[in-house]
Amino acid sequence: MSVLVHISPGPLSSERLLASHSASAAHAVGATVVFEGIVRASEQGRTIRALSYEAYEPMATNSLTQLANDILSKHALIAITVEHSRGEVATGQRSFRLAIDSAHRKEALAAMDEFIDRMKRDVPIWKTAIYI
Amino acid sequence: MTIRVLIFGALAREMSCKELVVDVCAPATVRDVNASLAAKFPPKACFFQSARLAVNHAFATLYEPVQTTDEVALIELVGGG
Repeated sequence: MSVLVHISPGPLSSERLLASHSASAAHAVGATVVFEGIVRASEQGRTIRALSYEAYEPMATNSLTQLANDILSKHALIAITVEHSRGEVATGQRSFRLAIDSAHRKEALAAMDEFIDRMKRDVPIWKTAIYI
Repeated sequence: MTIRVLIFGALAREMSCKELVVDVCAPATVRDVNASLAAKFPPKACFFQSARLAVNHAFATLYEPVQTTDEVALIELVGGG
């Protein structure tokens, strides 16, 4: 089981990071679910140019790591990789990516929903819309 | 003793600063910091009274002790993703 958390400036690249697996863990993976958060062009009915993300580091990194480990154990997953932006991310670009590896799809999909709900409640990251 | 409380996001913009400073009597707990914030900023008293505080990068209970050397942060209205 492995967890990788990465908070970086600006938009995420299109290539996702990969959590390292042991050979036996890699053979056990039967499902990979990836969610990508993309900055929408409108917020509350107004057109925006970008979102600006502010993270309270290192608490944000610690919280994401703790959350990932908790979800990993609870759903018996194989790996979780979390990538989040800080700073400005223009519309149409990726600001968040969560990749979950598991033996079967069901636990990965359940873990995905729970992770994002808990992140939005507890992880100290704030976003601000930058309007045109 | 003086406690500095880091603030972020919409609250920081509303308060036009990145930290709030309050005085509490030693020995103090997180609950005392909440109460001091509420007393110092009456228009936002309800918010500060129940706001979640982190001490040294972890959420703290109301009865956790706080010292001047601790890094205290107010973690509310988060919205990553």
